[in-house]
Amino acid sequence: MIENILQGFATIFSVGPIVGIIIGVIVGIIFGAIPGISAIMAIAIMLPLTFYVEPVVGITMLLAVYKAGIYGGSISAILINTPGAAAAFLTAQDGHALTRMGKSGKALCMALYASVTGEMLSTLVLIFVAAPISLISLKAGPIERVYLLFFAFTVIGSVTGESISRGLLSTCLGMLFATVGMSSITGATRFTFGIPELMSGFTFTPMLIGVLVMPEVIIAIRQRNSAQGNLKLTVSPNPEDNRISWREYRSVLGTIIKSSGIGTFIGSLPGLGSTTAAFLAYGEARRTAKNPEKFGNGSIRGIAAAESANNAVCGAAMIPMLTLSIPGDDVTALLFGAFLIQGITPGPTIFFEHTQVIYGIFAGFLLTDFFLLFFARIGFKFWTKIASVPRYYIFPCVTIFAFAGSFTTNQNINDVLLLILFTMFGFGMRLVGLNPAAYLIGFILTPMLEQNMDQAVAIVGDNYSMYFTTPFAWIFTGLAALSVYSTIRQRKRAKVKRNDSACLEQGEAVADKV
Amino acid sequence: MIKWSKKLVKVAAVMAVTLIAASVHAEYPKKPINVIVPWGAGGDSDLTTRVWADAVEKELGNPVVVINKAGGGGVVGTTFVANAKKDGYTLINAGLSNVLVTPNFSKTPYDFDSFVPVVKMTAVPLGIIVKNDSPFQTFDDFIKAAKEKTVTQGSWGAASSGTILASIIADQAGYTPKYVHANTTAESMVSVVGGHIDSAVSFPPAFGPHIKAGRARALVMNQKMDAYPGVPTFGDYGIKGSFEGWSGIFAPKGVPEEVVNKLVEVTKKVMKDPKVLKAYENMGAVVDFRYGEEWVKDLKVTYDIMNEAAQKMKE
Repeated sequence: MIENILQGFATIFSVGPIVGIIIGVIVGIIFGAIPGISAIMAIAIMLPLTFYVEPVVGITMLLAVYKAGIYGGSISAILINTPGAAAAFLTAQDGHALTRMGKSGKALCMALYASVTGEMLSTLVLIFVAAPISLISLKAGPIERVYLLFFAFTVIGSVTGESISRGLLSTCLGMLFATVGMSSITGATRFTFGIPELMSGFTFTPMLIGVLVMPEVIIAIRQRNSAQGNLKLTVSPNPEDNRISWREYRSVLGTIIKSSGIGTFIGSLPGLGSTTAAFLAYGEARRTAKNPEKFGNGSIRGIAAAESANNAVCGAAMIPMLTLSIPGDDVTALLFGAFLIQGITPGPTIFFEHTQVIYGIFAGFLLTDFFLLFFARIGFKFWTKIASVPRYYIFPCVTIFAFAGSFTTNQNINDVLLLILFTMFGFGMRLVGLNPAAYLIGFILTPMLEQNMDQAVAIVGDNYSMYFTTPFAWIFTGLAALSVYSTIRQRKRAKVKRNDSACLEQGEAVADKV
Repeated sequence: MIKWSKKLVKVAAVMAVTLIAASVHAEYPKKPINVIVPWGAGGDSDLTTRVWADAVEKELGNPVVVINKAGGGGVVGTTFVANAKKDGYTLINAGLSNVLVTPNFSKTPYDFDSFVPVVKMTAVPLGIIVKNDSPFQTFDDFIKAAKEKTVTQGSWGAASSGTILASIIADQAGYTPKYVHANTTAESMVSVVGGHIDSAVSFPPAFGPHIKAGRARALVMNQKMDAYPGVPTFGDYGIKGSFEGWSGIFAPKGVPEEVVNKLVEVTKKVMKDPKVLKAYENMGAVVDFRYGEEWVKDLKVTYDIMNEAAQKMKE
């Protein structure tokens, strides 16, 4: 084992693979950071390039794009509140809050360190314990996933602001909108009103940008003449505010490890993906935090949780692919194809048939993390400047990216129309106090829930006891209940605190009068 | 000023006309060819197309760009090409499901007649797969059990090519499986090897690795394949018909004949390239290069069979 890994490093330390990784990391960061251009598109574009190079070079390059792409999504999320990748949208909540305080450097550092740590940990799991984990993940069939997804829904409690009921209402709206289009199960078309363009439902990227980002632009336009509107964000002169000290890192290390664990677990289950992992980790971190009210208002712990979890998925998604030949998400499906074209069939035999290649790839994984750390860190000086550019420059650029990004996903002009409609919808949601984050959670999780639920119903038939005989059922139901309970308790406590201070103020006012 | 601009318009108009005339006469292709894949990146159709596009690009010395326009079970991308300019610069990756099956199930803005078939590159034979330790040793065991009790079968959507083929098979053998629909056939293979469902219909790119690893078995397949020795065919059980998925290139109807001829000609060369053949073999597909009238006739027959099956399923 150790010998194989060392041999892997020997394979990777030559010009070809290293150049491949460097190209992959840079392309990944850039593509990941631009909203609407995702890592998967970058990989699809670069795939034909890999036909002409050795498997080790080609595949490590694609993997570098994948990892760097997921990380890159956090850069635009933090700086301009526009998540470059869906998985980074919780990062935007806390990261951009820090940017508004002039601490963009701190947020970027936290995201990078958390990403790299999460990736490293999940890569180590991949290298050393892939086989046993894959057996557990096989046991998680449709029934088990339904319970897991129920648990994932409890993250709503962590992202909604003051009003739980408005958060739940937003989620319901998201769930409703997710049902638009052709049902992949029955083939029935729902809520399309005879418009063929709606057959595929609402495209995700324009909706994400429309609901989350564009309302910010509108709000900025509304404030253009006020002092607040002209204000440009300054980067805090205090160097402490723009880096993560060792002590800060250590203080969130527990969260990072836990979130990486969650990310690794979710990644090893086919079909759930990095966004779900980020939800779960964020919710869990908030539940156990000492000061949960900071989440969403610039908590480095929140950034650490979301980023380490969504990056941990990258390494772990390779587990089912390499041990069971099951691609876990759309990106690994593409990588699976890349392996096949190279003449390597991913599966347990890969470790014997292509020992050198596979351990070379593992070593490449670890090396990618170092290069990611290095190249991303170099870019910080430049990127933090973006945050201090006056808003009247930033927002037109954001708008252009939003439109271009909506178009590029499917190269479809209807998606631009969709962006405009959802911008209005998102702005309307703000006006009536609905929560866009909760809305998106409903939208993202519902199709998975529906599909697994349908499969579960078909499998169970009239043997209802099957719903309760799996240990997963009890574990995840328990966790969900715990999560709901602690959300309610935290809210009660916060309310008491607020009431106390309100009473105090009132008391002082009365005292003044007297 | 106005006069000047009028002149300019005239000049521009003349130039435009000559340009158009020139481009009609110039040899195809003169600009990048877009091939629309109506599915997401990374699927079988996508990979098949990318390998073809890459080789054709080299052969023509002209860019061939693969664009994924996924959604609506392939309807979005296919509609786009049906309505595209008929100049041969927008082509589509066509297969069983988007041009033969879906138009029979839903109201699509296009039909099989909206396209001109250009070439077929590969085929993937359908198989019925069970877990390695499944009690079904032969397809007969399976049929017998499925007649007596509920047997679950993984597929990828009620209106999908997988389910329609599976139901034609089941109809002839006289059983009715309970379908469990996943997003992709790769996902339903997970449910098979995880022991969550009894069987699945699937294609070699998805089931091949599981069989190789000894986690799954093929009970029956559309045709004999060297990679899966000893697996009987549907014909052996008296089931008639061809049960395969395939991948080809279509153009919107009305495209000039020389475009189709040129593409066929180039593909002829490409399909002799050992690199291309190797890539398809690695993917688990069977190279099945076809073009011309006879192939189109076969496609029409298949279309009618699908239509009949779809009407039956709708009842």
